[in-house]
Formats: sequence, C-alpha cells, structure tokens
Amino acid sequence: MSAPGATPSPFLRTLAPLLRSLERRLREWLDARRCYPVSLVARAEVEGLAEDLKRKADGLDSERPVLVVMLMGGTGVGKSTLMNALAGAPVAQASYTRPTTRDPVVYFHQSINPDRLDPALRLCRLSRHDRDSLRDKVIVDTPDLDSNDTANRDRLLELLPVADVVLYVGSQEKYHDQLGWEIFKEQRRRRAFAFVLNKWDRCLDAGAAGLRPDDDLLRDLKSEGFENPRLFRTAAQRWVDSPDAVPENLPPGEQFPALRDWLELGLTRLEIDAVKARGVGQLLEQVEQSLEAVRPPDITAPARKVEAGWERELAAEAEAQSEVLVGTLEPFQNEVEQHFSQRGHQRFRGLMAGYLRVTTKLRYVGSSLRDRVPFVGKLRGAKAESATDWDLAGFVRSCSRTASERVLAQRMAALTSRLLVETSTSGFPLAVINDRTTGTLKLDWEDRVTRSVVEALTEVEAEVVKPTGLRRVVREVVGVLGNFVPEAVLISSIALLLWRFFVEGLTPEFFHVLLPVYVTLGTLIALHVLILFALPVRWAAIRGEFARRLQRKLTDEFERTYLPIPRDAAAAVAAEQMQVEELRGGTREVAEWLSEREQAAHIGELYGR
Amino acid sequence: MGLMEVHDQRSKLRQLADDFAWLEGHCLKQPELADHAAHLRMAAALTRNVVGPSAEAQPPKPLFLAVVGGAGAGKSTVVNFLAGSVVAEANPQAGYTRHPTAFLPAALGSTWPTTLGFLGPLSRLSEVKPADLDEDVYQVRRIPPQSGPDPLGDFVIWDCPDMTTWASTGYVGRLMEVVGLADVVVYVASDERYNDAVPTEFLHHVVRAGKAVVVVLTKMRDGDADALTEHFRQEVLGRLPRGEGGEIPPIPCVAVPNLPPDVRKDPAGLGAKYRVALLNQLLALCPTPEATRARTTRNAMVYLQTAGDGLLDVARRDLTELDLWRGLVEAGRADFEKRYAREFLSGETFRRFDRTREQVVEMLELPGPGKVISATLALLRLPYRYARDFVARLLARPEMPTQPERVVLATALAAMLDSLQADALRRAGSHPVWKQVTHGFDAGLKTQTLDAFEALYRDYEAAETDELDAAAKAVPDRLAAHPVPLLFLRLLVLAIDLAAVGATVYFTWVPSLYQLLLIPLVVSVSRQVVELIVRQVVELGRSRLRNHRLALVREKLSLPVAQRLIDWPTSGGTAMQKLQQVLLRVPATIRELAARLAPATIPPPPAPPDSAEAVAS
Repeated sequence: MSAPGATPSPFLRTLAPLLRSLERRLREWLDARRCYPVSLVARAEVEGLAEDLKRKADGLDSERPVLVVMLMGGTGVGKSTLMNALAGAPVAQASYTRPTTRDPVVYFHQSINPDRLDPALRLCRLSRHDRDSLRDKVIVDTPDLDSNDTANRDRLLELLPVADVVLYVGSQEKYHDQLGWEIFKEQRRRRAFAFVLNKWDRCLDAGAAGLRPDDDLLRDLKSEGFENPRLFRTAAQRWVDSPDAVPENLPPGEQFPALRDWLELGLTRLEIDAVKARGVGQLLEQVEQSLEAVRPPDITAPARKVEAGWERELAAEAEAQSEVLVGTLEPFQNEVEQHFSQRGHQRFRGLMAGYLRVTTKLRYVGSSLRDRVPFVGKLRGAKAESATDWDLAGFVRSCSRTASERVLAQRMAALTSRLLVETSTSGFPLAVINDRTTGTLKLDWEDRVTRSVVEALTEVEAEVVKPTGLRRVVREVVGVLGNFVPEAVLISSIALLLWRFFVEGLTPEFFHVLLPVYVTLGTLIALHVLILFALPVRWAAIRGEFARRLQRKLTDEFERTYLPIPRDAAAAVAAEQMQVEELRGGTREVAEWLSEREQAAHIGELYGR
Repeated sequence: MGLMEVHDQRSKLRQLADDFAWLEGHCLKQPELADHAAHLRMAAALTRNVVGPSAEAQPPKPLFLAVVGGAGAGKSTVVNFLAGSVVAEANPQAGYTRHPTAFLPAALGSTWPTTLGFLGPLSRLSEVKPADLDEDVYQVRRIPPQSGPDPLGDFVIWDCPDMTTWASTGYVGRLMEVVGLADVVVYVASDERYNDAVPTEFLHHVVRAGKAVVVVLTKMRDGDADALTEHFRQEVLGRLPRGEGGEIPPIPCVAVPNLPPDVRKDPAGLGAKYRVALLNQLLALCPTPEATRARTTRNAMVYLQTAGDGLLDVARRDLTELDLWRGLVEAGRADFEKRYAREFLSGETFRRFDRTREQVVEMLELPGPGKVISATLALLRLPYRYARDFVARLLARPEMPTQPERVVLATALAAMLDSLQADALRRAGSHPVWKQVTHGFDAGLKTQTLDAFEALYRDYEAAETDELDAAAKAVPDRLAAHPVPLLFLRLLVLAIDLAAVGATVYFTWVPSLYQLLLIPLVVSVSRQVVELIVRQVVELGRSRLRNHRLALVREKLSLPVAQRLIDWPTSGGTAMQKLQQVLLRVPATIRELAARLAPATIPPPPAPPDSAEAVAS
C-alpha cells in the first residue's frame, strides 16, 4: 500500500487495485464450500457487492474518472424533457405517450472514449457533445420506474449501480409515489442524491389546504436524514420550447439555470473526486454490513453443551443396547458356561482331565441332546453350535443378528432423532450437523455391534482362561494340585497296598483291590469341589462382566462416531467466522485508508445522515 | 323473513366479512400470497356493503359513485364536475386526502343507508374535518342545491384517497371499502399516470369485482386528447382481465384536457362541455336505480363465488405442509407398531395358555364313578410322567428376557415423538406449520402426548386383560357349555385307552408278567397322543391372540395417539385450525347467500339439466 500522491486523481487510482483484491477475496469466499448455511438473499447481496467493487475499480482506473449523473423518476415526470433542456438539443425522445423512454440515453463529452464507459452504458443510445463544462460528467436518461412496462423498471435497476449521482426527478403528481420512494430508500446509502421537482408550474396552483409540493418533499427528505438537500424546481418544457433565449413568464422560483450551473460549474474536479471517494466509502460500508450479516455466530459454547448432552444420551443408549444384546445370549447360558468350563479345564492333564471331561459332559447333557433332538423348539433366528465345537464368532454373529432383527436399526434411528433434538435444545444450529448425523444411519451398525460383542466376549474369556492377580495364584495352585495329586494318590495308595500285601502279608480281598480307585475318585471329587469354589464359572458372574465390558465397548464406539460431529462442525464454523472477520478487517482497512485521504468538498448535501 | 332468520343472516354475513378479513391477514403474513390479499379485502367490502344490504332488501337508492385515481390525477376536479359546483378543493400536495368523503346531492335529502356493518371499519365523522385526517373515518358533505334538475340526483359521490403515494399503504383499505360499496367507479388517470402499474392493477381489481367503470383521462394538451385516449384503450383497457364470456367489459372513456383555473372553478358553466360528456357516459351505464343495484349485487355475488373457489389457492401451501405432517405421523405410527411387534410380541409367550392346556386335559377325565378308572390309568402312567418331566427340564432352554409391554410401548412412542420433533426442526425454516410444531414440542407436546398415552394405556390394559382371559378360556368354556360333546370326548378318550390296553392283551395272549409291563407304556403313549391334540388346539388360540394383539394396540393406542398428533397443528385455537374452519365456512356461506339472493338478482344458471327435468316432471 503505497502512499498516495498529492493530486486527488492518483489517489483514486491507487484505490483501484485495493478494491480489486477485495473483490477477489469476496469471490473466493463466495466460491468456497461452507458448513454454516448462507441464505440465498445474503449470498446474492454479497455477489452484487463484489460486482459493484469491480465496477468501481474499473471506473477509478483512469487519469480522470468520470462522474455518472443519472436521472430517475416515474413515467411522464419529464426526465427526457429535462435531458433535452440540459443538452439544449433533442437528444432524448419526449412525447405524450407513456412510457416514452425505453432506451436509455447517455450524454457524454466527445473526449471520452465510449469503450471507457461502463459496459451497462455502452449498450444505451450514445449521444456525444463538445461542451467542455460537462467534460468529466456523463448524464444518463433512464426508462421509467412505474409504468405497466415492467421491463423498463428492470432496465433502470440494472443501470443504477453505475450512477454516482442520482437526480431524482418528480412532478406534482409523482414526487410522492411509492415505487420511486422505495428505490430511493434502497439506494440512498449507496450513492449521492439530488432532487428535481419538474413541472414546477403545476405545483403552484393555490390549494385550500395542504403543503406546497416542494415543502412536502423537503419535509419527507428531512425525515429521511437529508437536512439540506439539493432540490431544483424546474419547468423544463419551457426551456425546451425556447432553446435560444430565456423563456418568458417563467413561474416564480424556477431554478433550471441553477441546475444547469450546478452540473456544469458546481461539480468541479474536486467535487467529482470527492463524490467518487464517498461512493467507494459507502460501498465499503455496505460490504462490511453484508459481511456482518453473513458472519456465522459463535457456537463453541453451545457445542460444548451439545457434546455433554450427547455423551449422556450415548451412554444411556449403550446401556440399553448392551442389555438387549446380553439378553439374546440368555437362552444359551448353559452353552456359554460349558464353554468356559471347558476352556478352564484345558490346563489339566491325566486323570483330572479325564474326570472333568466326563463330569462336564454329564452336567450339560441337556444342551448337547437338544441339538440332536428334532422336536425341541430352537430359538428363532439363533442357531447355536453345540458347546463342544464352539465357534465363538459365529455364535455371536447369530446372536447380534437376532438382536438387530428385533430393534437395532430402529434404535439407531431413534438415537439420531434424540441427538438432533438435544442439539436444538442446546441452541446449536441444526442445519450444520444434520446431514452428518443423519448420515451415520447408513453405517453398518450390525457389523460394528457384532465386533463389539465379539471383543467383549473374547476379553471375558481371556479373563477366565488367563486370570491375573490372586486368581492367577489360586489357579496355578489348583492346577498343580489337580495335575499331580490324583496320580500321586493313586500311586501311593497302590504302593501302600503292595507294601501291606507283600511286606506285611495281608491277605488280599476284593475290597482292598478296589481301594486305590475309591481313594483316587474321592481325591478327584474333593479337587473338583475345590475348583468349583476357587474358580467358579457361573453365568451370573460371566453375564455381569460381559454386560459391563460390552457397554463400555458400545459407548466407545458411539462416542467415536458421534462426538466428533458437533466438535468438527463448531471448529468449521469458527474457521468460517474467522474468514468473514478477516474479510471485514480487510474492508475496514481500505475504508479507513480512504477516509484519511478524503478531500473536503461541497458535497455533504448530496447525502443524508 | 322471520326475525330470527334476519338475525341469523346478519351474523352470517358479519362472520363472512370477518373471515375474509382474517384470510387477508393470513395472506399478508406470507409474501407469496400477498397478491390474494387485495382480492380478499375486496370480497370483504363487497360482502358488507353490497351483498349485506341486498340480502336485507334495502332500497336501491341512493346509488354510489366512487372517484378513484393516482395522486394528483385530478380526482377532486372530477368530483366537482360531477357535482356541478366546486365542493371538493383540489390540492397540489400529493396524497393529501387520507379518508373518503361523500358528497350528498340535495335531492336525496337525508337518505343514508342504515345497514349494520355499512362501510365496515370506517366510522362517520360528525363534523367537517380537513381531508388529511389519517383515521378510519369518512365524512359526508352536502352539495348545495342547484337551479335546474340534478341529473345525478340519485347518486352519492365519493371522493377517495389515492393509491400511489408511499403513505397509501396505510389507507388503501379505506379506498377499497368505498370501491366495494360503489355502483359505478369513476377512474381518473392523468397524462402522466395513465399507463402506470399501480393504478392499472387497481383498475383490474375494480373490473374483476364487476363494477361499472367510467374512465376520465385528464391534463393532456387539448390536441393530444384523441390520440391519448386511443393509446389508453389499447395499452390499458386492451389488457384488462377477460370477463365470463371471454370479452373485455366495455368501458367508456372521457377526456378532460388540462383546464385553466377559471374553467375548473365553474364546472356547470364554462366546463359544461366536459361535464355533459361525462354525465352522458355515466347515466348510460345506469338506466334505472333498481337495474343498476341489481347488476352491482349480481356481479358482487359472482365475484364472491370465484373468491370462494380461489380460497383453496390461498391455503394450498398450508394444506400440502399439513399433508406432509400427516404422512410423517403415519410413518411414525407404522414404525411404532413394527417396533412393538418385534420387541415385545415376538418374544411374548402368553403363559396363561399353559394353564388352559392343563385345564382342558383335566376336563377330559371321567367324572363320578369313572374317576376310579382315571385314577388307575394315571397310576399306570406315573413312571412315564416322571421320566418325561425330567427330560423336558433337561432340554428346556432359558427364555430370552423381554421388557414389560408398557415399557416397550412407552419407549417406542418416545422414539416416534423424537423423530417427529427432529423432522419438524429440520423443516422449521420452510413453513409456519413446522415452526408451530417445534414450538409445540418446546412447550411440552412430548410430555402431553406421553400423558395421553398413559391414559389410553389404562384402557388398553383393561381391554387386553379381558381379551387374554376370553381367548384363554374360550376352549374350556365351550366344552363346559356343551355337556354332550364333552361326554362324547371323554368317552372317546376312555375308548382309546381301553382299546390300547385291549389290543396289548389280545396280541400278547397269554401274557406273561413281563409282557403285562407293556400296558403302562401303551396307556402312556395313548395319553401323549391326546395331549398333543389338546396342545394343538390351545396353540391355535395362542397364535390367534398374538395376531390380534397388534390390531388391539393399533385400535386402542397407536391410532388415537397418531390422530391426536395429526390434529395437533389444527387444534387449540391455532392459525391452522382457524384456516381450516374458514375454508369450510366461507364457501358454504357464499353458496347459501347465492341461493337466497338467486331469485331476486341472479339470472338462472345456464344449464343445470337435472333441475330442469325436476321442474318438468
């Protein structure tokens, strides 16, 4: 940003690249993908402002920027007549039929290359002149804004952004009309306004009551913030009718010469530059306001609240779902118990192992029988393998399929609804996370849940098979006892028996021969009881442990999937907020730079408060 | 017409006008419906000022003449020309006149309509006030008596405010009210204004309402008058809405060029040329007061009928959204039932039927002396029975635990409500209905619905227990009610047992001790067969109950709850409820009015063939 030169025009010229870079940044912002929605209206407004920035930049990018003065008003108020009077020649068509002007007329000095005009103006009827007093000014006659031909109004609205100064033309009938007034109110913050009350002769009819139209208009303008507006009372038709001399019997207070003088002499280079600079300033203000309007709100606090709420919901859901899943295992509690017993017994060898195999088989004879008996009702959807050749994963899959057939899918849908409701009650914008949250329903939850169940069950199994701490010590002791004591008892009892027979000469009886068997069996039973007490494998204990682990797994799974959603969204929105803030900062910087260099000129009355 | 009837009709008319006013407010709230608002306002004005007096058979006189136009078009000048003297002062301030003023010709005396609701919200000023008084009032002034006969002696002339200045949004309602009242509308357009969009749109409304219109074109240069009139005919009148027959109603145009002040100040003298032309066109439109008023009323009824038909347009968007809501609730209900079937019904065993089975088996035992035989047979079967029970226990699988029915239902309902709330939140920006629903949820719709569910559940529980009981007792009760078939069945069972024993003895004759052990076995087998049959019968009842249970839940719980939710947006005094009421009421009232006014003012409709036949027969 280099310091501006001493003369005003280079200063305006240096403004052009600044405006272009601002426009580029705005366009980048418009093209970027965004998380926080921007309404179509706001978006269109920013787009229009970017377009205006470009237009302004192009207009300033010259040695002597030209001032565009645009006549605006209803049909028949005499815009074209006024234009002709100013030009001193019939450059615009004026007639009694309404609407008259369809093609706008652009009246400009011959030194201006038509290519340098704004593209919107190049398409109009061009009329060149050689009056040096209007050298840097382009006067544009526009179509009407209120006739039945609505295309005219659209045309006018296309042209208006080009205008630096709008000459609002009214007549006795129309100075107060709604359509014109609305456009004025919409545009007054964006460009300079001066006012013409044409057909002044008609305003002077003495009425019994009510204000004279010029006083009425001044009053309205005052209420709009124009304390001291430039208002010209004209009777343009008279000046057109006598092009060469001052018309006779002009109505009192007629000010057409004042209007002409103001346009020719009042608007000097200094004024033109000031109007241009002010126009840029107003545009920048608009940009800043629009950016303020599209800046996303700060949602970090609601995001935290949402996260806390979601954690609660997810934990509750995990608990409920683990209950359902454990419930589907309930009918197979015998198989599970048996499986765990067998896994626990695998460490034993020899006699103990054989004994345990036989007892387990006897104890769970029902479940192995059940799979062979055809008539006994199998549970719907769950086919369990017999415990002896048990495939844990397959078993669990069938269980979770049962569960999902019942409610899992619906439960997940209900969960998302609940999360969305929770979001909205926390004051978090729903639109930001709706898609992603609803999208989670497409995930393969059956698969995820099955994985959690398998993991939980494997962990429980590992705990039973490979315990830690005190249980490990107990298990080692029991293992050693089980593996050595029965054999030791058998051998020692046989040895004792042999000693009694051969050394002590005891007569052998049938009972004596069977004694080692009894003693060993007794030992085995005693050890079995010890095992049952020290290392219990019971469904209730397994179930509790399993439910606890499963719930933790599901909670983890849910939190992994859902909790990042509000977090990420809040981060994305915060980033977008930063972007808009930066844009606003940039805009403000340019505006400040501009206001420091704004020249004092007599243009204050062209703008309201 | 009886007194009651008159009273009834009056309240109906007032209701109709109020409904139109309410609909207008409803339209103004929605930007895409704003176009309808002007129609509804016109309909309300016609109801109050034309249809009402006609229904009460008020005299046709006085006729009303409304002078309307854009600001500064020259309305006051035209009023003066009509009155024949300067009664209204022209004013250069655009939009100065803020309320209508009636000018009463001397010939009418003090005749003034006394219908209730005349000019609706406008009240009459008792004293003369300046025309810029910006309130819902009108004033009445008298035209000073004239020397000759007054050609407009039957007409009250209304000077109306404009519709083009930015302040006019505040008072265009007053203008509409007077236009609704008018029998003839004088539309004033200046050389600046004659092709303006806003006055033209207003002219369209006036023509659609079936008013007779005279156009006065003003302020042009004398020489331009014919060309300008031609241009106006082509550009503006040529594009008026087509009438019923497809043609544009004929509208006379009178040109009054820019007049010097002295001519304007003397309408009856210097301005007589323009005045006579204007009066001729006007009187040609109104042959007699009766015919004129009848035409006004008839056209007003036609307008109201089309307005009645157009009402659905006003509510189309609302009705689509309501349909969408209904669809969502129905889908939620289907989910609710599916969830109930899966989560509860599929696992529920209805233990009550196990007892039924035992009961039926017991009933098949012989009574009285037969008990001895039964007891003997039972004794023989004892070992088998023990063995069977043991094996059954061994094989039995623990059941999957099911949650209590009430919990399942409440959870499913809560899920349904959550999903509805989430849907409403997603759509909250798109239409007021959804905003209303989300507000409803914020204000405790969920809790209310769950409370309503609790109440419904009590009913359901009673019905469900009754039904379970009835289904379980069906077979034993039927058996108990028909002793002869029961006796037959008992004997049949006994016969099977005896036949089995007899056959065993016969085939093993002479039986040894071991072979006699076969007898308990055979008897057990025969019993097992009987029990299997009973089991099948009872199971049939069980599955029937299961199938019916869903229907019961639907009837007692899910349908009432869903209906409640569907009706919710249109109940409790909400805008939607009012909208539905109005949509039903307005066309009905209009039809009724049309039927009542038909003989007096409306020519018989072109071709209702069945009524013609009815008359012929």
